Amino acid sequence: MLFTTLNFAVFLVVVLVAFYLLPKPARRYLLLAASLFFYMAWNPKFVVLIVGLISIDYFAALWIIHKQGPARRMALLVSLFANIGLLGWFKYANFIRETVLTLAHPGVAVQPLDIILPLGISFHTFQSISYVIDVYRGEQPAIKSYVDYALFVAFFPQLVAGPIVRAREFFLDYFNWQPPTAEEWQRGVSMILTGFVKKLICADQFANAADRYYSNPQAMPGLLPAWSGTIAFGLQIFFDFSGYTDIAIGVALLFGFHFPENFRRPYLSASVTEFWRRWHMTLSGWLRDYIYISLGGNRRGNLRTYANLMMTMLLGGLWHGASWNFVIWGGYHGAVLSLERIVWGRGEKQGLLRIPLAALTFLIVNIGWVFFRAKTLAASVFVVGQMFTAELGKVVLTPVQIRLALATLAVALAEEYGGLLTKLTHSPAWLRTAAVVVTLLAIELFTASDQSLPFVYFQF
Amino acid sequence: MELSEIQQAIEALPPERRRALLDWMRTLEREPVAATPKLPKPPKLKVARRPATLQSAVLWSVFSILAFLVVDAAIFRSGWYFNYLLPDSTTGQMEFHVFWVLHTLPDKLPEAAVVGDSRIAEGFTARKASAAAGEKIHFWNMGVPGSSPRTWYYMLRDADPDRKRFRSITIAMDRYSDEDRGENPANRVVDLNYLAGRLRVTDCPDFSQSFDDPELRKGMLTGCLFKGATMRRDVQDLLLHRKERLRVAKLWRNDGHGYIDGYEGKPESLAGLTVDFGKKLISFPPGVKDWQSESVRNFALAAPAPQTGALTAYRRLWLGRILDLYKDSQTRIVFLELPGGPVPPPEPTVPARYFDSVAHQPRVTVLPKEMFRDLERPDFYADGLHLNVNGRPVFSERLGRKVAELMGVN
Repeated sequence: MLFTTLNFAVFLVVVLVAFYLLPKPARRYLLLAASLFFYMAWNPKFVVLIVGLISIDYFAALWIIHKQGPARRMALLVSLFANIGLLGWFKYANFIRETVLTLAHPGVAVQPLDIILPLGISFHTFQSISYVIDVYRGEQPAIKSYVDYALFVAFFPQLVAGPIVRAREFFLDYFNWQPPTAEEWQRGVSMILTGFVKKLICADQFANAADRYYSNPQAMPGLLPAWSGTIAFGLQIFFDFSGYTDIAIGVALLFGFHFPENFRRPYLSASVTEFWRRWHMTLSGWLRDYIYISLGGNRRGNLRTYANLMMTMLLGGLWHGASWNFVIWGGYHGAVLSLERIVWGRGEKQGLLRIPLAALTFLIVNIGWVFFRAKTLAASVFVVGQMFTAELGKVVLTPVQIRLALATLAVALAEEYGGLLTKLTHSPAWLRTAAVVVTLLAIELFTASDQSLPFVYFQF
Repeated sequence: MELSEIQQAIEALPPERRRALLDWMRTLEREPVAATPKLPKPPKLKVARRPATLQSAVLWSVFSILAFLVVDAAIFRSGWYFNYLLPDSTTGQMEFHVFWVLHTLPDKLPEAAVVGDSRIAEGFTARKASAAAGEKIHFWNMGVPGSSPRTWYYMLRDADPDRKRFRSITIAMDRYSDEDRGENPANRVVDLNYLAGRLRVTDCPDFSQSFDDPELRKGMLTGCLFKGATMRRDVQDLLLHRKERLRVAKLWRNDGHGYIDGYEGKPESLAGLTVDFGKKLISFPPGVKDWQSESVRNFALAAPAPQTGALTAYRRLWLGRILDLYKDSQTRIVFLELPGGPVPPPEPTVPARYFDSVAHQPRVTVLPKEMFRDLERPDFYADGLHLNVNGRPVFSERLGRKVAELMGVN
């Protein structure tokens, strides 16, 4: 059930109305039932998997707080093994098998195993892992109620593609639940609409250009096709993913839950370090807290810091997908982050210098997107080679797409430096109503695809 | 802590926290505060105007959605937008036909509509038919390329709202036989595009339910309710080429019907074409163009499809609705079987269940299926489907005479 379908709109209205009509104690049952229904709408049989993982982690956390010594550690390991094991099986079994068999029998084509990736497994396992580790570290009390914990993992707005919500953030709202204020409700509505615009108008529009180029890059040699096709993908993935999380955050707000911000205009970053503070912030935070810091962070000297950065980004890359392209993408970002740390330290640049640095960062990030988007390593190498060739070729973005890109840049700058959307939320009712009408008309008339295209991050 | 620091800290709070703090502070004021030292009055916090309660915010959301629906209806349901359609778009063709009928005063002569798809749009000439009827009948060519019985129903409903305009309506069918041809006509998505200007809000549930595929039903319901989504490409084209579109739409509105009336037909011919349906062999005459040969292949090499009864059910529904529409009127409904192509195609084995069932209804005439078979000649055809400049007058005149006979106009 995609967020952008009529099915979801009906589902959301029904659940919202039922939620506010029911007495408070019954609401958690409603939300859990609705969340499981939402999950089962994709593939009913995988509900066994998510319920199984919820059960293991729920009991593991209880075991951790009630036991001492090795038993606690054992409970943590069982939970980690279950989560990482299942994630590994569904996501990486084919990748590992193919790598091993290719090394053992070079030149022999490997037939992949028929494994379906369960929806949202990368996201809900990370939420579960962070919960159990936090309980183990004593930073999070174990949740006593199975329903409460199950709702934390399965809550439908964030179930499929995040944002990755930490237990303490979720339960802070959950145990102190208050209905949303009027302003929060308005913000929720505006975030949902913003998400629709990002996904249906922007992402699907740029997807046309990116798909046209990446379906066969060799057919469009030259520097301009390589850059424009890749920039189109860079814009597509940003609008797609941030659009999804905007809708998720907005929907959660309507239920009185405050999800963390996940994107803060990342393409205005003046360094790759800053980019990662603004891009998929909940994943960056997760990787920082549970991998980078666990590896020692920056406390063990410069060399170890760079190695930790590299290891964290490699794992981050691998989290996105099981292929060497994602590993290279992660490694590329790890290397650039380390290099930036050596050259500039950690401070963010201010003033006019940000303009050229933001442009440079945008180009650096886009080189990375080549590995993210290209189907094969050979295709990635070809595209990167074309980015630095003397042959120009033709831009794959249409004039309409270029105008759209510039318009979105203007909106991003207005929001970054003028708080455009915040001001709009605080504007008089007639202006907000006019904004909603114009946005809905825009969605109706300028949706780029006739069909509901799945969100890019659903594959992760 | 200084007062200014407290103020700054409060201002830095997220709005919802600030609001909670303010609420809490209000509760403090109700308690006796005799021992509290008097503090200087802090400057007023600038609080933006906003709805006071969640209920008012929810109401605002509902109102905003209603406002959108009103604006959307003003654009797409008032008929305003449909004045500027691209004339040769699917919606445009349907809309202009309805427009011309509605904006032409009824003739003193009895009027007869001929409804069909491109085989009527291309193969029928109202002038020749009127002439063959001794200029005693005003014929309307209401053939819309690619249209189907479902779209004809809505077109006739709106073009002839009181069912008094036409003394006869001739509906051209490709074959009377209920033989299924692969595509389920109930699931023709493009019908929504033809009908974007015709469908009312009250039509949407029924229209969408007439599709067999449950997924399509949802898409059709959405597209019917939000016509802007259906008209998306047309709107974008209008925004990109405003002046040209306005000029062409005006031109077509004023002169399009005259252009259709004066159209002479395609000059191309397939004379020399032979087809062996059994062996699937086609022999083209020299000089045949690609669009002609492709069309002939589609006609001659069509693979047999499984027989599901879908066509019978579809005809029963949509042709049945057209008959129901006129059941209390004086209008005669005439069905004709079109000539089958440039060479006589094999006779279908499936019986004409639907037409057999309606042939004896009052004011319904099912013309003999052989009536136009002699026109199945390559020299009368421009391609695999459409009569050419030679075939269309013969077809039109014969039809004109027959309709005149049926209407008792001699």
